[in-house]
Amino acid sequence: MKLQRLTAMMLAGALALPGVAFAQNEGESVLTAVPQQLTAWVENYNPMNATTVLPTVLDFMFEPLVVFNAIKGGEANYRLATEYSYSEDQLSLTFTMRDGAKWSDGEPLTAKDVAFTFNLIKEFPALDLRAVWPKLESVEASDDKTVTFKFKQVDAGLIYQIVQTYVVPEHVWADVADPVTFTNPNPVGSGPLTEIRRFSPQEYIQCRNPNYWDNAELEVDCMRLPQVSNNDQVLTMASNGELDWFGSFLPDIEKTYVSGDPDHRGYWFPAGSPVFVSLNMESEDPGLKEAFNDVNFRRAFSMAMDRQAMVDIAGYGYPTANEYASGLGKAYDVWNNAEAEAEYGKFARFDIEASKALLAESGYADKDGDGFLETPTGQPIALEIIVPNGWTDWVNTVQLAVEGLAEVGINASMATPESPAWTDALITGKYEAALNAAATGVSPHFFLDGSLHSRNIGQNRFAAARYVNPELDAALDAFNATTDADAQREAMTKVLALIAADMPLINVFNNPLWYEYNTTRFTGFFNADNPVARPVVYAGVPERLLHLLALSPVKQ
Amino acid sequence: MSFILRRLGFYIAAFLVAATANFILPRLMPGNPVDIMFSQQNSTLTPEARQALIETFGFASGPLHLQFLDYMKSVFTGDLGYSIRFYPQTVNQVLAYAAPWTILLAGTATMLAFAIGSTMGSFAAWRRGGKFDAIVTPASLAVQATPAVVVAISVLFIFGVALRWLPTSYAFAPSLDPAWSWQFFGSVFVHGLMPICSLMVVFVGGYLVTMRNNMVGQLGEDHVTMGVAKGLSDRRVQFNYAARNALLPSVTSLGLTLGAILGGSLVTEVVFNYPGLGQTLYIGIVTRDYPLIQGQLLIMTFATLIANFLVDILYVFLDPRLRKV
Repeated sequence: MKLQRLTAMMLAGALALPGVAFAQNEGESVLTAVPQQLTAWVENYNPMNATTVLPTVLDFMFEPLVVFNAIKGGEANYRLATEYSYSEDQLSLTFTMRDGAKWSDGEPLTAKDVAFTFNLIKEFPALDLRAVWPKLESVEASDDKTVTFKFKQVDAGLIYQIVQTYVVPEHVWADVADPVTFTNPNPVGSGPLTEIRRFSPQEYIQCRNPNYWDNAELEVDCMRLPQVSNNDQVLTMASNGELDWFGSFLPDIEKTYVSGDPDHRGYWFPAGSPVFVSLNMESEDPGLKEAFNDVNFRRAFSMAMDRQAMVDIAGYGYPTANEYASGLGKAYDVWNNAEAEAEYGKFARFDIEASKALLAESGYADKDGDGFLETPTGQPIALEIIVPNGWTDWVNTVQLAVEGLAEVGINASMATPESPAWTDALITGKYEAALNAAATGVSPHFFLDGSLHSRNIGQNRFAAARYVNPELDAALDAFNATTDADAQREAMTKVLALIAADMPLINVFNNPLWYEYNTTRFTGFFNADNPVARPVVYAGVPERLLHLLALSPVKQ
Repeated sequence: MSFILRRLGFYIAAFLVAATANFILPRLMPGNPVDIMFSQQNSTLTPEARQALIETFGFASGPLHLQFLDYMKSVFTGDLGYSIRFYPQTVNQVLAYAAPWTILLAGTATMLAFAIGSTMGSFAAWRRGGKFDAIVTPASLAVQATPAVVVAISVLFIFGVALRWLPTSYAFAPSLDPAWSWQFFGSVFVHGLMPICSLMVVFVGGYLVTMRNNMVGQLGEDHVTMGVAKGLSDRRVQFNYAARNALLPSVTSLGLTLGAILGGSLVTEVVFNYPGLGQTLYIGIVTRDYPLIQGQLLIMTFATLIANFLVDILYVFLDPRLRKV
């Protein structure tokens, strides 16, 4: 009897707790977001830490100098800086700082803090996450408002890396003995949300910076970050209406998420990083080496890819098919080279018959009667496409690719190593073919350079095709060798023409940028009807700051 | 006594072998762990930054035998270094946070499964062929063959998502801090219900079937026949004469199945977002946090060996023959 009463009491006590309440002040607006999946939060507010920094430290706790809006062709949104300019020789870049900007503890935020931060990461290379110092000569503040970066050589892409290095307050960090291991326990920041109201491994709450220069625009008082460890958990919480802003793969999203409350729930999956098949052009297999280095083979390979099926079947309709011969993709369509696409675009579209015809015409035939084609010199072709184990949408994509290749007579199979082994194989070049993707930046130059410039071979996994084309290298270098918009456009047009003509990568689709929202508590979310900027909440996309500032609480 | 000492020697040797395997295995995996760990963090990392990070995390370098000595030293001093994924926490801190939850989850589920399974098994055997036996025994065989993940997800879907009766994640409400209060313990209780019950369901069949089979064997023994002949009540014969003896093999298997318990716990913890060792091991493997994986495997090895050692000691008390050796 007693035990029963006890149990009942405990149950009552626990059930009386509302699901999402915390010590909240009257009238405060609290946004619940899931920017990262993890099994436990760890307190680390060091914006220069790459491994365990909390996902709301960049952009929200520490504001960038400028946010470049990738969807709008790199349009500048000035934040801590109000202006930037290059010198005549384009070798120095000067930022003008915002008047009256303050740190969250009330101290003035000046150009000296910027210079201090960059010289700090020069002293501690482990902090140089954007790899800026190899390209910089010096960083100096001439007064409180002006800071000048001297470049080793002209590099128009460097500014995007510079503004993603987050400035820390000199009056706090000057006394830190080891900024590499420093976890910044009492953070003093510059962004909209700097006060950690509550921290536990299961959730933390980050609230308004009393001294934020743009507080008039900010209507979200606090962000609440529940610890969530996997997609299923996100789906469970989202379908209970607990989440306001998140980004996660949800199977059959219309049914599992939107249909629960169609008036308030929405999503938008703009095109993200390009996904492509890398063919190892330095393969030790003579047949593969011959075929992979033949542009006609690559074109036939590309025409055997049923991109729409990959998007619809493998990707649940979420990715965006990439039918650009240059691989540019929808996300960067403003840069498109229409002429090159008109000429070579047909090679980036699914066409089994054309693929077969091109192979036959180029001398590929089944000479030994095994049902598969040999190269023009008679070498057998048998390739294995590697894809990380467990990345089910990608695994299904490769399956569809293998089917298409079999139809045109190319002997392809799939292997699914663990993702670290896949990464390692791509970097070291010990593989035959792979499904791969590139990281994107503000302009298309970043991913095209990363995946196709020969200097990146062996340096990253994006350049796994090990493609060497001095003409393309020069064209890519030309893009960053000027800050003149017209000259850049001209350089990009050339880059795209060269890629479209030689098709070094077999692009299939663009990964979606994962983004879902619920307008029950807040409005102003970006979506396909209101495409202001990339809308994701996870770190690495600084536009999320613009998104936060666009949100307004719903009047209860 | 010499039996215990010999067993102790065996366990120390086994621990050394396991600890060595723990050192070798990650180094046999494809790719250089350091490169893989940091190549995923940030593709723009310069070689200088990479080197600085390696030094920060204190990765052993140099010839293999020196690395091995360093590693063995860390095993015996208990200083397992920093976790990569949970930096600045040390491996010890991460494991110390997770271990109590797994002990609570797996411990409670195992104990309940043992008690319920053994009781039901004894009833099933006592009236073997009866209605209860005909339903419960095949049912438990079926449940036993069901993967833990299926049970966990079904329970989560029914009680957490469809009916919304119980919280679907965490060990306690995130708005609470651990405290000696009814509110906190009530929250732990409610959050534990689904994971504990779904884990228990997975284990209960095994104990039921073991108990039933042992009990059926016991029922044919002379002492049970004698108990019946003495005119004792059915309950007394069932529990004091048959079940008591039939229980011994189940007790033994309790110690031996620790590995299986931790395995089942991993799946359940991941599904219910329960902050235990299983979930920690999972994230360690996914993110290639080698120091964390090593620490975790050491703990699991250690726990399994200790459990077996305790069973050995128990045997000395249960089986008088061992005391004479």
